[in-house]
Amino acid sequence: MSVSITVDNVTKRFDKLTVIDGLSLKINPGEFFTLLGPSGCGKTTLLRMIIGFNSIEGGTIKIDDNVINNIPTHLRNMGMVFQNYAIFPHMSVADNVAFGLKNRNFSKDEITKAVDEILEVVKITHLKDRMPTQLSGGQQQRVALARAIVIHPQVLLMDEPLSNLDAKLRVEMRNAIKHIQQKVGITTVYVTHDQEEALAVSDRIAVMHDGVIQQTGSPIEIYQRPANLFVSTFIGLSNILKGTIKKNGEVTEVSFGDYSVTMNNIKTTVSNNQKVSVSVRPEEFFIEENSTTGIPALVKNSVFLGVNTHYFLEFEDGQEVEVVRPSETGKVIPKETPVKLLLDTKKINVFVEDGSSSLIEESR
Amino acid sequence: MKNFSIWKIISFTLLAFFILFVVYPLALILYQSVIDPETSGFTLSYFSKFMERKYYWSTLINSFSVTICATLVATAIGLPMAYVLRSVKIPGSKYLNILIVISYLSPPFIGAYAWIQLLGRNGFLTKTINSTFGLNFEGIYGFAGIVLVFSLQSFPLIYMYVAGALKNLDNSLNEAAESLGYTPLQRVRMIIIPLVMPSLLAGALLVFMRVFSDFGTPMLIGEGFRTFPVLIYTQFMGEVSTDDHFAAALCVIVILITLFFFFLQRYISKKYAYSMTALKPMSPVTATGSRKLFSYAFVYGITLIAMLPQMTVIFTSFLETAGGSVYTGAFSLMNYENTIFAKDNHSILNTYLFGLAAISIVVVFGTLISYLTARKPSFLTNILDTLTMFPYIIPGSVLGIALLSSFNSGWLVLSGTAIIMIISLSIRRMPYTIRSSTAIISQISPSMEEAAVSLGSTEFQSFRKVIVPMMLPGVLAGAIMSWITLISELSSSIILYTSNTSTLTVAIYAEVIRSNFGNAAAYSTILTLTSIISLLIFFKVTDNQDISV
Repeated sequence: MSVSITVDNVTKRFDKLTVIDGLSLKINPGEFFTLLGPSGCGKTTLLRMIIGFNSIEGGTIKIDDNVINNIPTHLRNMGMVFQNYAIFPHMSVADNVAFGLKNRNFSKDEITKAVDEILEVVKITHLKDRMPTQLSGGQQQRVALARAIVIHPQVLLMDEPLSNLDAKLRVEMRNAIKHIQQKVGITTVYVTHDQEEALAVSDRIAVMHDGVIQQTGSPIEIYQRPANLFVSTFIGLSNILKGTIKKNGEVTEVSFGDYSVTMNNIKTTVSNNQKVSVSVRPEEFFIEENSTTGIPALVKNSVFLGVNTHYFLEFEDGQEVEVVRPSETGKVIPKETPVKLLLDTKKINVFVEDGSSSLIEESR
Repeated sequence: MKNFSIWKIISFTLLAFFILFVVYPLALILYQSVIDPETSGFTLSYFSKFMERKYYWSTLINSFSVTICATLVATAIGLPMAYVLRSVKIPGSKYLNILIVISYLSPPFIGAYAWIQLLGRNGFLTKTINSTFGLNFEGIYGFAGIVLVFSLQSFPLIYMYVAGALKNLDNSLNEAAESLGYTPLQRVRMIIIPLVMPSLLAGALLVFMRVFSDFGTPMLIGEGFRTFPVLIYTQFMGEVSTDDHFAAALCVIVILITLFFFFLQRYISKKYAYSMTALKPMSPVTATGSRKLFSYAFVYGITLIAMLPQMTVIFTSFLETAGGSVYTGAFSLMNYENTIFAKDNHSILNTYLFGLAAISIVVVFGTLISYLTARKPSFLTNILDTLTMFPYIIPGSVLGIALLSSFNSGWLVLSGTAIIMIISLSIRRMPYTIRSSTAIISQISPSMEEAAVSLGSTEFQSFRKVIVPMMLPGVLAGAIMSWITLISELSSSIILYTSNTSTLTVAIYAEVIRSNFGNAAAYSTILTLTSIISLLIFFKVTDNQDISV
């Protein structure tokens, strides 16, 4: 019985400062939806509007077809996992988890049963009688999650839940969260600034910047076909090259000085000699040592990281680019080697010159 | 919106309480100070009366001189005491710490009367000195006596503030200076003192306020040396020629002075505030040679001198007296028979009852006000916050006079009742409790409440089920400290009490004035024991947490 969330043209003002101005989005039933963006982009503000800690200054938020703007938080039946977990320090694990059930009409037995079940789901049954001070960060995280979902909320909200954990635990916990969410099948809104985390857990991601949603889409769409230059550089790493459109009858090319590539997926609206910004991810370059075509560059440095080798190169005009290649047996291209860089034309993205929109047809 | 209105009702109720018992009485004092009772017209004659007669204004100079001297001496003892105990390993330092706190907790005027027993005209030490050296020492009264009593009474406060700051001082700062070639003494001067300066100033201000507004000590040991609070008391309560309007003008003057120093201290502290959290605090090291000798002698010597009054009082409480101040030389329990078992003597019971009632008010109000100001900031709660800080800078005797003038007649008569005693006690303690409760609340993340609300609790339920239990340990610890200070309160009680509402401190004071030193000693011993037991309970419940006053 999962619900949908519809955010329709909402506005958030703190005093006179407008943080979100007319934002809309739709979250599908049962979906793991992530709000991703740099700090200060308004993602937490939006999350807190959904749960009701922040007031809504304009527009509506709907659960299925019901507007919830004026429903007090404690009646919204939404579970929330906080950045600092907010585990009540004066209650045991079991009491923390039971807290939300105690002011609903459940018998003692029902509460005990529900608590036991959920502790099983999050795999901390053995910690039931511990006090919070005796728990590790990951264990506290599981308690917070159990406490939020035991009340069978309509919606699960998570505000940067993994940011206080160390790197290894973060990976372990994000898999656990994803697994538990799928098991419970609850509509989930997840806030993070960590793009790798977002790619790993989400069904869909909304990338936010300055209170505006830049792009909504699946992790694959967001990574491979970013809607604008901001998304392209915020998600993963992108080298930005300046290029020019060359229309030659049916053939559309992007030229970088002496080197041009033929593009099969450029929108037909482009005009000849239009300046464009081209975003090339490090793995979308090929390095050729003996090629006649390609963008000439000089290897300045390299870092061997096992699976891949990262190269730092410099174009003739001084621009620096990063290239990632699978490591080759026994060989790293030495410093100061002149090379040619070729582009993987199926993967690179082309934007209008100021980067505000994509010129690739598949990009939405 | 129901919860919102609950908090609003609470805010208004609290505000009404403080307007009635703080703002109205103070406004009345201000009004009386500039109104001629004959003509009901505006007059500054009371202020000019004060300025014109040396008999009056010299008391202000006297007050300043004892206050400044005592604050300086207290700093000169308290600062090194804190540093030595933090940096040098001294056996029994834990107990020394408790003894220092105990010496601070008893009311200053008990110190005054104990020192009279020791160094007064017929004091034990005076006699010993005079007979040993063939001198004719007259005992310490007046300026020297007052400064002695206040310094020994106040250095623990400086000690506690500085010790608290030193605990938060990361030793790596010290080590950094050492690696850059500074000697220990240079490090103290250039690193440690500047960093503890804000705490030192805060402590010094408290000492200043306490000493400046205390009237019991100069009353007992001052003899001809009259200070400002003594003048206020005699003008308002004295047997001859009292003048309420003149007393009101004196109250206004003293409020202006304390207000000035309050803001001065605030300004200076803000300028030199550092936020410090020590990952690795300084740890005491074993000293050797002269350094060891000096630090042991200093720490033990000062603690012994500070404890002398307490020991004197307890010792003399078991001495038989032949009426009044004459000791027969025999031991007996007669002083206790005359005090605890005296007929119609309510002062011991009153002390406990009033103290408990005031503590209950302080804890409930303090928790609510600190929650409101920390979590529901609004114009209303801002006013509340400011109002509740008033009593912090208003001397007890002034508050007593203001309350008595306001509720002596008219629509609400409270004079002579237990209620007015309890209200005055709770108002006096309120600012301290609010500040410590606010500190506790700021340690609790707002997401705790949000978590409770997201789980279906109303705002008030989440306050009750989450915030209150989380605050409780800290608030209880604060309540015990408040309790200890309240039972030793004299300056407002002495003005508000009647024979039925007398408390221990009032009884001690009255017995000392009547030279019934035996009875006074018995009362003081009861008070001291209560404080010590409460303090031990404090250490027990807080697991030896630091004392904050």
